[in-house]
Amino acid sequence: MKEFTHVINDPMGLHARPAGMLVKAVSGYASSITLTAPTGKADAKRLMAVMRLAAKQGMELTVTCEGADEEKAATELKAFLEANL
Amino acid sequence: MGFFSKLFSKPLDQLCAPIAGEAVPVSVVPDPTFSEGMLGDGIAINPTDGKVCAPCDATVDMMFTTGHAVSLVADCGAEILIHVGLETVSLEGKYFTVHAKNGDKVKKGQLLIDVDLEAVKAAGFNTITPMLVCNSSEYSTFKTHTGKNVTTADTVIELAK
Repeated sequence: MKEFTHVINDPMGLHARPAGMLVKAVSGYASSITLTAPTGKADAKRLMAVMRLAAKQGMELTVTCEGADEEKAATELKAFLEANL
Repeated sequence: MGFFSKLFSKPLDQLCAPIAGEAVPVSVVPDPTFSEGMLGDGIAINPTDGKVCAPCDATVDMMFTTGHAVSLVADCGAEILIHVGLETVSLEGKYFTVHAKNGDKVKKGQLLIDVDLEAVKAAGFNTITPMLVCNSSEYSTFKTHTGKNVTTADTVIELAK
């Protein structure tokens, strides 16, 4: 299991577009990827679940990757979140 | 599929237009987030009236506090996202009035959001309103009805798993 945290920088929070980009980014990994926010927990591959987090700017997300490609997924997702959220 | 199995096959689930206006293919939406199907397949409406209504019986999954978007889980299982206008998240709720909250059971045609379309346009935003089925990949039949003016009583998507 690989885990890291990311604080949301986007002033609009995790709204539809970044949520869609995130779901697209994680869809290629074999690992199960879970987002944990103060507002709840979501399967990062399910758009509706990610949007339901209603994650706002300043909130800390914990990203947990578990599976065959967890190392790669965690490294690449960390970079993705830093660039986009 | 034979004649009889066709005759007796399960009827398609139907989603009505979420807002009155001109129904268009989602591929014409000038925003790749929607037009490239990243959030799911669907349609879009160029709205002529500011009342956003439930497209079918459903549960409100997530009403964005800004009122610019809402997601619903339909009683038939479709996961629906209605996004009112493009980039409208940055209006931070201005010109939007929310009429439902997370967890509400809503009926087809029930008012979800009121939007002042003229004000949104005057503020420089495109009011085109995509309605997407986020789990569209789970459906084997997905028909859209676009290229015409619709009301919130008109079916724009028919789908079956």
